[in-house]
Amino acid sequence: MRISKGEIFERVFINEEVNLQIDQEAGSHVKIHVINASFSITVNQLGEGCLTEIYGLENLHGDESVTAETHVTHAVGGGTSNQLIKFVLADQSRGHFIGDLKIAQDAQKTDAHQTNRNLLLSKDAEMRTQPQLEIYADDVKATHGASTGQLDESALFYMQQRGIDKQKARQLLVNAFMKDVLATISDDELREQLLNSIDGVVQ
Amino acid sequence: MNKLLEIKDLHASIGGKEILKGVNLVINEGEVHAIMGPNGAGKSTLSAVLTGNPAYEVTSGEVYLKGQDLLAMEPEVRARAGVFLSFQYPVEIPGVSMTNFMRTAINAKREYEGKEPISPKEFLSLMREKKKLLELPDKLNNRSVNEGFSGGEKKKNEIFQMAMLEPCLAILDETDSGLDIDALRIVAEGVNRLKTPQNASIVITHYQRLLDYIVPDFVHVLADGKIVKTGDKTLALELEEHGYENI
Repeated sequence: MRISKGEIFERVFINEEVNLQIDQEAGSHVKIHVINASFSITVNQLGEGCLTEIYGLENLHGDESVTAETHVTHAVGGGTSNQLIKFVLADQSRGHFIGDLKIAQDAQKTDAHQTNRNLLLSKDAEMRTQPQLEIYADDVKATHGASTGQLDESALFYMQQRGIDKQKARQLLVNAFMKDVLATISDDELREQLLNSIDGVVQ
Repeated sequence: MNKLLEIKDLHASIGGKEILKGVNLVINEGEVHAIMGPNGAGKSTLSAVLTGNPAYEVTSGEVYLKGQDLLAMEPEVRARAGVFLSFQYPVEIPGVSMTNFMRTAINAKREYEGKEPISPKEFLSLMREKKKLLELPDKLNNRSVNEGFSGGEKKKNEIFQMAMLEPCLAILDETDSGLDIDALRIVAEGVNRLKTPQNASIVITHYQRLLDYIVPDFVHVLADGKIVKTGDKTLALELEEHGYENI
């Protein structure tokens, strides 16, 4: 699909597999959230001054397996892209993140950020992360970060010391980890509903 | 006087290394006990073991809180039963707001006591009242627990939580470290105002300075995993002057 000049394309996909190929014209804005589903999103910034935002939140249990794939190309300059992909992996779940970020030689003054954070809640869960950056322009701002970790034991003990049982403390930390992805949803009602639904677990 | 805490011949280790080598201590309601001692004596280990920190292993000994076997309780149950630790290094918990954290903690305690959850109105007015006691800013409620707090704010936040939870036994682990004199005064005043004839505190400190503000009934010297000397508040002054070498 093609997002024409200055247009805004914004979608939130929940429990729905996503397969999108998007070409952006100058000044257009693409903002996509995918929650709890595999996705493959390809975006080409073909015009100047585009904004691309891709957010993924995968909260996996049992033997669920999810692949999150992004291919973002800045073909021309002055564009911005932000990607934040988070996985929470319980039980024997499997997660896979593939993130290609390409900044072409002509795409000067590009501002591109890709972050992948993963939380392993079980020693049987598994996460594979494959970020790939190709930067051919020299005057750009590009960052990427990938990390996979476990719940902070010292934070768990701190909460237990205040009377919060371990299960609830874990839930509070997991929710805190997921919150910033949901907080970027523009639709007030949907955002609050999703934030409340994760908070509801601990009330 | 009612016995609140009784520690009998407590031995504890971390990573196979014995740190506490037979600690004995009785604390009655209404008392303030200071525990002083050189670095590595086991002061922080004692607070960790009393609160059930899983990093430490109790190898022998007994601890009773109001006659109940404290060592048999999970850390959160000890807390609900009224044991509170003001951490030497309070932990930052990004994404968990003070409001959510505090309400969850208070309701856990109330449930343990067979009470209904606190109403939102009651909770907010309690927060307001206790923040004032510690001179903490209004915006505290929405901030993540300890995240980005200065050293002084973190210590004030510990005593604020203590004020919210009203423990029967408060353990202040080096609460004075990293505090300037104004913050020290506020923290100490907070602690003093929370004192009742029914509760007690253990003040772990390196320096006499804090004890000018929180006056102890007893001062114990912990050295090499044992309490080697006990006295009144004048012992702290003596230690300040002559150091620990002569104990």
